[in-house]
Amino acid sequence: MSADGDRTAPALRSPRQELADSTAHGEVYLRRLRHAQLQLSLLALVAFGAVFGVLPLALYLLRGLDHVHLLGVPLPIWIMLVPMSPLFIAIGWLYARRADTLDAAFRDLVEK
Amino acid sequence: MIALAAISAVTVGTLGLGAWGVRFVRTTSDLLVASRSVTAWWNAAAISGEYLSAASFLGIAGLEMQLGASALWQSLGFTAGYLALLLFVAAPLRRFGSYTIPDFAEARLRSPRLRPLASAIVMLISGFYLLPQLKGAGLTLQVVTGSPYWVGVVVVAAIVAINVAIGGMRGITYVQAFQFWIKVFAISVPACVLLIHFGGLPERAALFGRELPRAPHALTVTLSGRQQVTFPAAAHITIAGRPVSVPAGAQRTLPGGVPIRLPRGTVVPVAKGTAAQTGEQWSRPVGGTSQSSPVLVYSLLVATFLGTMGLPHILVRFYTNPDGHAARHTTVRVLSLLGLFYAFPAVYGALGRALTPQLYMTGQTDSVVLSLPKAAWPGTVGTLLGALTAAGAFAAFLSTSSGLLVSLAGTISHDIWPRVRREPPSGVSVRRWRFRAAALCAMVIPGLLALLAQSIDISILVGWAFAIAASTFCPMFLLGVWWTRLTARGAAAGMIIGAGLATAAIFTGLALGDSQASVAAALLAQPALITVPVAFLVMIVVSLRDPARAEASAEMLALHAPEGLGLRLAEEDLDGRPEIAATQRT
Repeated sequence: MSADGDRTAPALRSPRQELADSTAHGEVYLRRLRHAQLQLSLLALVAFGAVFGVLPLALYLLRGLDHVHLLGVPLPIWIMLVPMSPLFIAIGWLYARRADTLDAAFRDLVEK
Repeated sequence: MIALAAISAVTVGTLGLGAWGVRFVRTTSDLLVASRSVTAWWNAAAISGEYLSAASFLGIAGLEMQLGASALWQSLGFTAGYLALLLFVAAPLRRFGSYTIPDFAEARLRSPRLRPLASAIVMLISGFYLLPQLKGAGLTLQVVTGSPYWVGVVVVAAIVAINVAIGGMRGITYVQAFQFWIKVFAISVPACVLLIHFGGLPERAALFGRELPRAPHALTVTLSGRQQVTFPAAAHITIAGRPVSVPAGAQRTLPGGVPIRLPRGTVVPVAKGTAAQTGEQWSRPVGGTSQSSPVLVYSLLVATFLGTMGLPHILVRFYTNPDGHAARHTTVRVLSLLGLFYAFPAVYGALGRALTPQLYMTGQTDSVVLSLPKAAWPGTVGTLLGALTAAGAFAAFLSTSSGLLVSLAGTISHDIWPRVRREPPSGVSVRRWRFRAAALCAMVIPGLLALLAQSIDISILVGWAFAIAASTFCPMFLLGVWWTRLTARGAAAGMIIGAGLATAAIFTGLALGDSQASVAAALLAQPALITVPVAFLVMIVVSLRDPARAEASAEMLALHAPEGLGLRLAEEDLDGRPEIAATQRT
């Protein structure tokens, strides 16, 4: 490569400039962030669906559970009342932490 | 009397706090001030406070008593809706900086023509959601004071409309947070006290066994009007002093206004539209009756999971978060606060089935939270606990209907009115008067509809609002935030078809009357399972076929780039949008 070519090489522009000018490189950085975030959200959704999404079907098919009583209350009602909220909170909390990490990685990339 | 005093105290306290708060924040914009000083927990309590409505406070317990354990899916769906909001839209929407849904539609898709459509849907959803709040108010005053149903509807509609019009209780984080804790206190304390009093759940056989609900002691019921009832078992009752014997399975029309006596142990007759269920059927979460078929449960879960993000009064609350990061963490806290609240309504439904089975006969299961304490514990303690639940219910109507009316009046005065009158942009004082007029007028139609909707369950009415939100704004948000190729035409087509299908299904279901046990009937009652995928599909197909395709890179930057990098035009823009801020707060 010639000296001239080096002066205008894209590598000399910082990711921040690329983004601010919304050049092709900037778009790639942002698209990568967006895809990483979407993947994370979909992963969390799958985790949610694998437990809560199949619960109505499981309770519908497993009729035997209705006759299992705990402290005089059928097990399906316990399953609906007790562990579901903590599950939502756990998925939400893990998701939020991981999403912040992705944002922070992007911030490092832009500010370096 | 005590209950009336408690209701008045909550009302006056809320209005007073609101008026006091407004004086403090009049000069600066509350949302932006709040964004710098309010912690995530306060914000989360405020969001939950605005969200917990008559449907949560009265409706879930009422529906549980009427239908059985399948009603608990509703409370799970109401909570899970915030998980969907967290995963897909909380941070991007906060970063994008639109205060209202029509703002978002216009800015993201660069199309001023989407505004009137989004505004019309905001009005449809707010109207559907206001209706059950007013119904709950009518019912509460009826139970507490014995006044006719319409009195409560009119009183609460007037209080909320006047309050919003003069500018109280709006966007004020601390008032809404205070409302949340009132509601938690009012639902949890009576539930715990009653459970301790009975040492667990009484009458287990009618709850979980093979029994039908029976009168726990001799009951004297006075119906407010003629009522058609079904006797699931033979009974010997006394109507206005005359003994009457009824064979099992008989249908009778009972007269209103005279005392009807059911001796102890009588299997309680059920009002038309309610199914008599044994404990085993009642306690089955899925498939116990036609009204808890798996299709209906899944449709309801889809509506609540995806509909929450499309409720018009929720989005604006997210602006008290300083940035996208805080929006996420606030939403996680909302999940835990709602989880706390929703642990309690189930107790009322179960205790109500055991202790106030006469509500099956009057058809007013929605009032179980209000009438249970006094029936379960006659005397001062019951009266005090009843006053507490009535006050909590009022807190629920006031906060939710105020939030909804603000969205509704803001939309009318800001989007619809100037368009209809074709006026040039006008000054702040004109806009303020317009907002006040809109707040007063916008209450009239939901108020009138609430007078007609007396017989429809609160939870079912709210389910429709969620179904419409899930079939319109949810696909617009999800695709608008994550898919660059959504076009204005695609979004418009999807929202029109989603709203049209959902509304048509609901009204067809109403016209056909209740309930044949078929999949089709279930989908007319709760259409989200069909209408949501259709709306998504229409948006995607129309966008892909639209010749005017845009890559939307500036919008994607605004939605997804973290704050504080100096990349985001929106950060500076947010403070510079006084016009939108004004309609939220004038």
